[in-house]
Amino acid sequence: MIRVNPKLKKELERYGEFNANQCFSCGTCTALCPMGLKILPREIFRFSLLGSEEKLKEAEDAIYSCLLCRMCEANCPQGVKISENIRILRTYFTERVFKI
Amino acid sequence: MSEQKIGVFICHCGGNISDYVDVERVRESVEGLPGVRVAKTNMFSCSDAAQEEMISIIKKEGLDGIVIASCSPKLHQNTFRAMAKRAGLNPYKYTQVNIREQCSWTHTHNREEATNKAARLVRAGIQKTLHARALEPIVTKTHPAVLVIGAGIAGMKAAISLSKMGINVHLVEKEKEVGGLIRDRESLFPTGQDGRQIVRGLFEKIKAADNINLYLGASVVGKRGSVGDFSVDIRVSNGETVSLSVGAIIVTTGAIPYRPKEGQWGYGRPGIVTLKELLGMISSQKEFKYLRVNGREVETITYIYCVGSRDKEHTYCSRYCCTAAIHTSNIIHDKWPEISQFHLFRDIRTYGNYEEEYKRALSRGSIFIRFSPKTMPEIEFEGERPVVKVSDLLTSKEEIEIESDLICLVTGLEPSPNRELTDILKIPVGKEGFYNEIHPKLRPVETVVDGIFIGGCAQGPKTSQESTISAMAAAAKAGAMILTGSVKMEPFVAEVLSERCDGCGLCEGVCPYGAISIKEDSGKKIAIINEALCKGEGACVPICPKEALQIRGYEHETICSMIDALIEGYEDVSS
Repeated sequence: MIRVNPKLKKELERYGEFNANQCFSCGTCTALCPMGLKILPREIFRFSLLGSEEKLKEAEDAIYSCLLCRMCEANCPQGVKISENIRILRTYFTERVFKI
Repeated sequence: MSEQKIGVFICHCGGNISDYVDVERVRESVEGLPGVRVAKTNMFSCSDAAQEEMISIIKKEGLDGIVIASCSPKLHQNTFRAMAKRAGLNPYKYTQVNIREQCSWTHTHNREEATNKAARLVRAGIQKTLHARALEPIVTKTHPAVLVIGAGIAGMKAAISLSKMGINVHLVEKEKEVGGLIRDRESLFPTGQDGRQIVRGLFEKIKAADNINLYLGASVVGKRGSVGDFSVDIRVSNGETVSLSVGAIIVTTGAIPYRPKEGQWGYGRPGIVTLKELLGMISSQKEFKYLRVNGREVETITYIYCVGSRDKEHTYCSRYCCTAAIHTSNIIHDKWPEISQFHLFRDIRTYGNYEEEYKRALSRGSIFIRFSPKTMPEIEFEGERPVVKVSDLLTSKEEIEIESDLICLVTGLEPSPNRELTDILKIPVGKEGFYNEIHPKLRPVETVVDGIFIGGCAQGPKTSQESTISAMAAAAKAGAMILTGSVKMEPFVAEVLSERCDGCGLCEGVCPYGAISIKEDSGKKIAIINEALCKGEGACVPICPKEALQIRGYEHETICSMIDALIEGYEDVSS
């Protein structure tokens, strides 16, 4: 169960151009991911938009497994800056979750 | 009958027919039958060369009628009627027999029986031509005025278009104001134009036109007559009844927004509104941000789509609501960017250029959550604050809860409650309650009642753009008809064999078009047919105990002789 928290998205937007909301959930990225990470990146973005920090924490491994190869980004029909969004998520994690 | 000379032409249709029906055997089976002077086959009867050849045969042999056994009359009846006319025949002395759709295409597994069936159908066609009378189309003069019912955007545009053609228009609106569905709307997609201004602009044009009579607070209470010459009674606002003579009628009675039942989706509780009500809030609350619902500022709005659309009660999609809701959310994104907006949808149908609105909403931060009709969103209340629970199809059906300050139910359109008008006009209504056109592609604004056209949302939910298009199409059809001065109709109408009719009136009761009336004629009661109203549908024929009614072109004698030809050779078909 996810309790929607619109604040998280606003937080993420402070770290850079977080444009995951452009995503219309087609799944091209998931199909192309060379790491075969099912959750990447579509669902992670969805959890970010809905504001579920808890779900994002569960996906921590996936977020850090991303190769930033941009295979998905090059093929995204909506022009989502996927690698940039992943970097923002990593920054958020470093600062807010691991408090480094 | 036997002194008649007719020609029978049997078509190969390339191989469409002859691959399965032995056309030569069919030809042989009818050659020499009484009345048949010529029996030939054609490779393609519809080709120019074949038509010219048939014309020369008709002239050379002095034929009185023809039968062409080919495809469906829907395809080539008019082609061959015109050909018969060119050959100097009355077009109604031509019969088309369908041995393609009804024989070769349907019985590909049994060539023998397909051929036998084709032969029987051709023999019946021969009887039809032998009994055919030379008929002429029915011509009615048109009265140079049009009645437009309903003064929404569709009705107003239709009235103005007709007025510009120089045709008198009577525009009847049951409400006290014009404008219909867009009267109170501010921003309309896709241009963002103010609906109220559009209505005002059209209203000014109507007032300025000296050939448009506008009746507000008025309703249609009676209709007599038929295409070209309708007589319509209008009850005007002061209670008096006015009688109008018009050549055509355009019905643009619109639709009404669906209103959820009290309690459905929490409707009726504070913070739960329909799209129309949300729009009302936006226009009345210039400082929407400080609008308080239950003492809270609006921070989160959740839209629930397809309320009153695509369910058991309303199986159709209302077309305009997705785009209207997304357009509304874009207005909110513009005015109050800090408000979070969630869209709970089944399918987003922002077709054509309206896709831009969807893309804009996505880029502004609207979040779209897809639900399945099997797991509809639920609204619960935490204190007075509504919380929407929904299963998100786009993640792994994750359960999502959205605390919302405002829930907008995106409602569809329902047909206007027009029972009385429908009964008066006798135009057909589809299963959803909207008026039906004859053909959605080819005759999209005509009804089965000649001279009555439909436009706008009366026909089904439409955007204002689509409403205008259909209304102007209806105006063009009605205008063309009026300006021609007369209308021609198929002569296949009912006729009364007066020596048999005893005026019992059974036929009057079954006619769905109100074409039959019982009149007193030199001391004898008799059924009278209004040929302009009759559709030749034939409900009156079997109900008549005296066999006093028949459809012209399908007379009792013609039908019986055709049946005899069809069953010829069977000893006793009843056993």
